[in-house]
Amino acid sequence: MEENEFFGEKTFQRYCAEFIKHSQQIGDGWEWRTSKDSSDGYMCKMHFQIKNETVVSRAGTSAHEQTCLPMEEALELPLDDFEVTESTAANEVIKYEYHVLYSCSYQVPVLYFRASFLDGRPLALKDIWEGVHECYKTRLLQGPWDTITQQEHPILGQPFFVLHPCKTNEFMTPVLKNSRKINRNVNYITSWLSLVGPVVGLHLPLSYAGAASQDE
Amino acid sequence: MHYPIGLLFDLLASSSALPWNITVHFKSFPEKDLLHCPSKDAIEAHFMSCVKEADALKHKSQVINEMQKKDHKQLWMGLQNDRFDQFWAINRKLMEYPAEENGFRYIPFRIYQTTTERPFIQKLFRPVAADGQLHTLGDLLKEVCPSALAPEDGEKKNQVMIHGIEPMLETPLQWLSEHLSYPDNFLHISIIPQPTD
Repeated sequence: MEENEFFGEKTFQRYCAEFIKHSQQIGDGWEWRTSKDSSDGYMCKMHFQIKNETVVSRAGTSAHEQTCLPMEEALELPLDDFEVTESTAANEVIKYEYHVLYSCSYQVPVLYFRASFLDGRPLALKDIWEGVHECYKTRLLQGPWDTITQQEHPILGQPFFVLHPCKTNEFMTPVLKNSRKINRNVNYITSWLSLVGPVVGLHLPLSYAGAASQDE
Repeated sequence: MHYPIGLLFDLLASSSALPWNITVHFKSFPEKDLLHCPSKDAIEAHFMSCVKEADALKHKSQVINEMQKKDHKQLWMGLQNDRFDQFWAINRKLMEYPAEENGFRYIPFRIYQTTTERPFIQKLFRPVAADGQLHTLGDLLKEVCPSALAPEDGEKKNQVMIHGIEPMLETPLQWLSEHLSYPDNFLHISIIPQPTD
């Protein structure tokens, strides 16, 4: 079959190491964590996002910062165009934690994530579904439980949301076939994360693409 | 957790007499530790997700993907409504393997111990060795959880339990997978301290 579209845990770790190397160069915040009792590990990154009624532009914010869909209750606070005002309550800031693990069952990477308000209250699955970007909503609504579900983190044991891995091979195969055609080296993790990340608010700066094809 | 009730019993209360008395809480849900169970749909989705993962290991997902949606539904309904024949009409296909092989590609299993932070051990493990010999339960443990086994001449410290019984370590893993798997097609194995009575 397409044995070459799948890879083992060692290859996964190698791609992650390359990915993290670039992340360190541009200060993108990804780290590698190993589990206490074995050699396996995962990549992780923390990210803060403002959840708000209207688009908030902040000086210095990168262009791809995504805002969530409007809440049902309208926010009454008038917002300054150029900064987040002090009256913005703490519970509008959401902390996202993204983990990239390897699934030995599907032999692909899997994206785990969790989100909470600054006061520690976790977001519910319903909030997560609502926060998915508009252009991915149709797919999500066709089969929400097949797309984003809540599961136990295989290493930490805590509840995390997961982007289901069973379709990963399906959408990665054409990507990999294509790059092989033009004889270009591709970091599987970079390509994969750039495809699945945006569904849940995770964006990769374009410089990753350049880095991936540099390694010979 | 979304664990089968029998697994929870083996892991946490196997020394208790049946019926198992449990305390149900209605306040202070431990959000950080436990998954919510919002609806029947969630349970169905979780069950099917496990079945699919098991088939990814056994058959590279070929068998489950060849089935129609109505077959998946029948599997779930058979389980939900306790209809053995309805369930097995579909499940038997998930227990087949090509005539030229001696078993599944990899065995779906999870090993649970209360003493570790990691919720379970799950790795790739083939039911048949390169020389064609069938791997046993003992072979599996030796490879992925050696601490579960008693040392050569030492005392037996742990029980290796599936569905409340301790299968002999010489049992072929392929047989266990076909006959002792849970409805989600996984072998959920508990390693618990040997009771001292």
